[in-house]
Parts: sequence; structure tokens; C-alpha cells
Amino acid sequence: MTGESSPAEAARHALVARGLSKAFGGVPALSSVDLTIASGEIHALLGENGSGKSTFIKILSGFHRPDAGEVTIAGAPVSLGSPESAYASGCRFVHQDLGLVESASVLDNLYLNAGFPSRLGTIRGRVARARARAELAIVGLEGLDLRVPVATLSPAVKTGIAVTRALLRDENVEAKLLVLDEPTATLPDNEVQQLLDIVRQVASTGVGVLYVTHRLDEVFELADTVTVLRDGHRAATEPVTALDRRRLINLLVGSEFDDIRAASAVIPSERGDTVLRVRGLEAGPLQDVDLDARPGDIIGIAGITGSGRETILGSLFGATPRQAGTVEVDGELVPSMRPSVAMARGIAYLPQDRKVHGGLMQLSARENLTLSDLSPFWKRLHLNRREEISEAEHWFERLAVRPSGGHDKTLATFSGGNQQKVLFGKWLRRNPKVFLLDEPTQGVDVGAKAELHRQLLAAAEAGSVVIVSSSDVDELAALCHRVLVLRDGQIVADLTGSDVSIVSITRECLGTSRKVVAS
Amino acid sequence: MITAPRSVNMGFDRFSGLYLWALFIVVFGIWTPDLFLSADTARSVASSQAIVAMLGIALLIPLAAGCYDLSIGATINLSAILAAWLQTNQEWGIWQSIGVAIITGAVIGLVNGFIVVRLHVSSFIATLGMATVIGAVQTIVTDQSQPLPPTASLWLNLTQYKIFGGVQIVVLYLVVLALIVWWVLEHTPAGRYIHATGGNPEAARLSGVKVGQWQWLSLIGSGTIAAVAGVFYSSLSGPSLTFGASLLLPAFAAAFLGSTQLQPGRFNVWGTLIAVYVLATGVRGLQFVTGVQWLNDMFNGVALITAVAFAVWRQRSKAAGRRRGRGDGGGGPDSVPPQRDDGDAVRLTGESATVR
Repeated sequence: MTGESSPAEAARHALVARGLSKAFGGVPALSSVDLTIASGEIHALLGENGSGKSTFIKILSGFHRPDAGEVTIAGAPVSLGSPESAYASGCRFVHQDLGLVESASVLDNLYLNAGFPSRLGTIRGRVARARARAELAIVGLEGLDLRVPVATLSPAVKTGIAVTRALLRDENVEAKLLVLDEPTATLPDNEVQQLLDIVRQVASTGVGVLYVTHRLDEVFELADTVTVLRDGHRAATEPVTALDRRRLINLLVGSEFDDIRAASAVIPSERGDTVLRVRGLEAGPLQDVDLDARPGDIIGIAGITGSGRETILGSLFGATPRQAGTVEVDGELVPSMRPSVAMARGIAYLPQDRKVHGGLMQLSARENLTLSDLSPFWKRLHLNRREEISEAEHWFERLAVRPSGGHDKTLATFSGGNQQKVLFGKWLRRNPKVFLLDEPTQGVDVGAKAELHRQLLAAAEAGSVVIVSSSDVDELAALCHRVLVLRDGQIVADLTGSDVSIVSITRECLGTSRKVVAS
Repeated sequence: MITAPRSVNMGFDRFSGLYLWALFIVVFGIWTPDLFLSADTARSVASSQAIVAMLGIALLIPLAAGCYDLSIGATINLSAILAAWLQTNQEWGIWQSIGVAIITGAVIGLVNGFIVVRLHVSSFIATLGMATVIGAVQTIVTDQSQPLPPTASLWLNLTQYKIFGGVQIVVLYLVVLALIVWWVLEHTPAGRYIHATGGNPEAARLSGVKVGQWQWLSLIGSGTIAAVAGVFYSSLSGPSLTFGASLLLPAFAAAFLGSTQLQPGRFNVWGTLIAVYVLATGVRGLQFVTGVQWLNDMFNGVALITAVAFAVWRQRSKAAGRRRGRGDGGGGPDSVPPQRDDGDAVRLTGESATVR
């Protein structure tokens, strides 16, 4: 496909990139990558962090100038390194951070960048609205009320508006290629489908779509073609029908992923007395939830958004309030909304959003690590810097944090996977009796994910109770020996042994089997 | 690969204040050597700026905890007035007067803390209102007539006693205060918790940090230190009814400018001290050369804005450099959302717009 092609043939391609290479400070980030996207094709781009995915996109957008290679959009060559040229040739981008003004109306958001259609400086309201409706129809949002503030809309609809805005920005240039950078990363499960429909609608108008994602399910559901990048090289470009999940994962990382599945089966699931005892928990949507856990348990919490899955762990720890119920660790009560007491009882809690709740981005990685317990370093009226550093280095090594030795840098400078490793270390160093984790590997590359899973297995083996709440059913099935499924605030299934599978968890989440109330 | 570009910049970033200081001294030293390069000038800059420096240090504690304290200007003024007024008008002893003045500062901090932590009023609003209230209290106490300065030699020697090289002892107090606050902020768990609170209150709370407690204590700290500085001011220069307001801005300028020095992005004691003395040296030199009086205000105002602008720019360019420097991962969920990229200075200035 990427061979010699006539100009006429090239015009049918939304994107032809040839031999793109880019090095940073002598380190190659992208090595001679070819990529072709036909008009109307949905092309998934996959790769771990560091694989060159972002570099590739930033070359397309004109942010980076490549060291070698060429790009044509719909047959027209793009002057690389120039955002204006990329734009003028019909390249459009929707980033994960949508850049919408939450308090402004749908209509205002659509025209803020492009400028309202106007006459003599006055906005032509009717024209603007009619055009907005027509454009929104392209993404299947024709019924949307243009006057409501964007903040009141669901994330998927917001993404749809951002896509519409990207496509409409300029009347003179037709969009040829739409690049979506992880549009579903922060989307609740039940809205992913809506977004996928939006993408399909856009592609059906003849626009080529480059779809960047970490979620493999979407690839199989949505994409026509898949390109996998690894270490800056193109590992494969194949039609999606020629791939299965296992092969795709192997293309991404090799064999790391299989080890975890094997390891979790080996761990004995029940030993010792109940450590964590929850009775009659009510918090948010949760009603009368009971839970017992023993040392060595790795328990998964599954459920669709709104089922209580996102609420349960935070309320156990005291991050969010409980309305009723008791939580005990080794027979001692854990009060509501008192994280410091919960910690003293031996609970650790990794919140879902590491940027907002989990990490202190402007403090160093070392300070983040040791914040959970400074007492070992408080000696002779000062914090012993040397011991603190050696502890930080110990955890950097144990969790394979990169850059190694970077514990003095602010947490913000680390990649997502490495930030999460630091936050794991912060809690693991307390040897928690109960380790609660909300979406522990969200937005983390597959390699770091495997490492984090290994750490959880090790913690459980050492006698901790590990409870993981995750929207990633795959993760739960791979990691846990027991999965509790929440539906409408209640535990509807307690899956163990061979029942811990993607199929049965998903079935219980969606309520397609008889209701089983866990004892 | 991240360390490579950093090692190139020879510390101009972190130590720009020291370079600037050296430049001032060389330039004005050549320009007006007899005036500027005298020991008298050095001594007078050292002691006249000691109070501003103390106020700057007082301020950086709540700033590190993510709170403004706009009431320190009023607090230092009330404390200075009280310390003198109790002695001359009420004929109290020196130590009782000083004690009452300092306790007043602590109480102001206590009330500020209550309003911010318990009533959840934005610290910007709470302390702005408190500053006005304190001004009213001062008027009630003094009835708008400046108290006479106490004349006891013990009172005057409290700050004006000459130690080595003819430097007034108030400079020594400043050094002691700086050491204490530096120790607390950088070498105790309390300091770590304060920085964590200022960095991200919710993340700090979920790490077991008692966020409200540290904000409250930081405001008590700033009120108390401001009152101590007020006592020293009163002893050094006499009780003035209006000096406090004119010290507020220099203190802010010093704290923010200080946060761009030595440990960029972090409010720190030595950076604040450097900022105070760099500004003062520049102002003094220019005054010798030009003889105009508006320099101080102009310098401090411009310095405050420049400091914050510089901090923002530095954070932004660093973030951009990181995105460029790392081959990948910048665009995905790994990229830091913009509001987190902008560092303390911006986050703090942003607070004024939101009522918490």
C-alpha cells in the first residue's frame, strides 16, 4: 500500500506518511515509520508509552519537525514542522483534553475558535445555529440543544462536540484526516459506545480517522486497520480481521502479560482470619453492602458506572462519606472521613485520579513516596535526608521506576506509568493490612501494568488484603481470585475460581444472569 | 535524557537572584563608589530590610500551605502600635507589652484559621477582610493619634544594640528566625505536611495529612511572626500608624520572587531572604544615583509581577521541554493537565478567583 502510487491514487488516501524518523538528543523516538490511511478508514494506532505514538502524532500536527520522511494529506504534500500547513491541508486533531469551555453553551463552543458567522460585526444567530445543527448531525448529535452549557453534558457528547468543532473550524478547508488521541481514556464504560458511533459517523463521510488508544476492545470493535508501534518502529500494520487479542498483545509487549495470569492462579485464596469486615455499608448508590476479606485475598470489584464500583473503596478508606455501616480492620472500627485514622488501622488507598487525588505533582517523587510515613526519618530533630533518599532509591529499584535515580524530580515530570509506580511505593512501604485500589492501571502502559500487577501479587502473598476496583474487566479476570460484582449499589455476584472470567464478570455487570446475592 | 538539557544552564535559573545581586553591587559600586560601597550603606540596608524580610518569612508559611495571608501588613502595624502604646500610654512593662503584642498576632492568626478552615472562606477573602478589621481595631486603640515612642534604653537596645561590625542586633534576630522557619519547613514532618497541603490539599488529605490543621497552624505562624516583626519595628523605627500597608507588598514580592530561587517552584526561606536584599540593594543604588523617592514602590510592584510571570514562564517552558524531550507519552494520559503545570505561583494567584 505504501509503495509507488500515482498522484490520483494518493488522493484517495487521507494520509500517506513515509519514512518518518525523529530523534531527540541522539535517541531515536521514531525510526522510518510508514503509515497509510484511506479516506473513510478507521485506523487504530497502538503502542506502549515510549513507542513513538505521540511523536508520530506531533509530527502530523506540525509540533515536531521530523529528521526525515514525508507526509501527504489527500495527495497534497504537507510542509512538515508547520502547524498551519498541517491545518491547511485538512488535518484535524482532538486531544484527550478536549479544550471545551465548560460554562459556555454548545453553540459558543463550536464557534469560539472558528469565529461566528457574522455580518457587520454582529453574530448571525440563525445562520450560526443552522450550520451548527447540520455539523452536529454529522456526528449523530442532531437533537442537541445548542443553548445548554457544555458542563451539563455527558463526556461522550462533549467529545462529539469537540470532534464537530475540529471538523468545522474553517469553511475553506475540508477536513481530510481526523486524529483522535485516546478519546475514551476518561470516558465511563457506558458512554464508550456512543463515542464509537460518533467516530463511525465521521468516517462514513469519507474522513480518514487515526484512532489512538490503549483499550484493545475498541480496536476490535471499531477499527478497520491496526498499526502497532514498538520502540519507534512499526511492529505491524494489519487489517483488524487478521488479528486476535493475544496476538495484538504480543505485538505490543511480547510475552510479559501471560506471566501474570499464571501467577495469580497459584496464590492460595483463603488463609488466616478475617482482616477486613464491612457490614451494612451505605454510601452513594451503595446499599447494605457486606464484605469479608482474609489475608492474601485479591478481590476485584466490578460493575458498570453508577453501580457503586467507583464509590465503594473511597468510602471504606474515608475519602468520601459513608451514610451508614461499619468498617473494621482486625476488629477495630474505621470511622468515616478520617483518612489518617484509616491509615493508622492499616488501610492504604490509591485513588482513581492520580493527578487530582493521588499525587502531589509539584513535589518530588521522593516526597510523594515518603509522605505516607515520615516517622522513620524523624531523628534528632530533623528528617534524615540520607535515609529518606536510600528508601526512595530502594522503591525506585523495586518498582523499576524510570528514570532511575530521578527521585528528586517533581512527580509531574514522570510518565503516567512511573507516577503510578511511585504512588504504589508510597503505600506499599507502609505494609498495609488492607490495600484498596481504584482503577490502579488506568492510563498506564502495558509494561508498567504488568509490573504493578506483580507488586499486588507480592503484597497479597505477604499477607495483605488487596481490593481492586476496576472498569477493566480484563484486568480483574487476570489479577483477582475473587470478584464481587456490583449492580445498582448491591453485590449481585461473588465469583471465585473458574468463574472469574471476562465472560461471567461482564454478564453479571450487565445483569444478564439470575440475581445472586452474596452471603 | 531528561537530565541532559538541565545541566547546560549553569544555575542561572536557580541562582539568578545572586547573579543580579552581584551585578547591582558591581554597577552601583563603580557608579557611586564612595556612597554605595560604604560599610554604613551595607549596615543600613541590612537592618532596614530585616523587618521586611521577617514579614516575607512570615508570609511564606501560609503560602507554602496554599493560603494567602493579606492581614500580615495590618498585624505588624497593630503589634508595633500596641507594644509602644502599652508602654507609653498605659505604662506597662516592656516584656508584658511585647507579650501582649505577640499574643495579639497569634490570636489574629487563630481567627484567620477559623474563618478559612472552619467556615471554608477563601483565604484571600478572609484575610483581606481581617486586614480591614485589624485596621479598625488599631484606630479604636490609638484614636488616630500616634503613640509616643518608649524611651527606655532596654527597649531601644532590643533591636538597635550594635553587634559585630556595627550591625544592629535585629539582623541577628532575622537570621535566627530564618533558621527556625527553614528548619520547620524543610527538616520536619510539619514542613513536609505544609508543602503537601499547599501542593494539592485533596491528595494530601488522602495521604493522611490533616490539611485543615496545617493551614490553621500556618496562619497562626504568620500572624505570630508578623507580630514579632512589629515589636522589632516599633523598637527600631518607632510606632507609625501606617507603615504596615507599605510593607505588605514588599513581603509578597519577596516571597514570590524567593519561590523562583534556589528551589524553584517552592516557597523557601533563603530564596525569600535573597529576594529581599537583592531588591533593597537595587533600590538603594538607584536612589543614590537618581535621588528620587518613588523607586521603592515601583521596584517592588514590578518585582512582584515579574517574579510571578517568571515562575509561570519557567514552569511552562519546562513542561514544554519535557514534552519535547520525551519521545512519547506526552500526549496520552501521562501528560499533566495544564492547570497542574503552572506551579505554585499561578495556582495561588488563581485562588483569588474561586471562593472555596
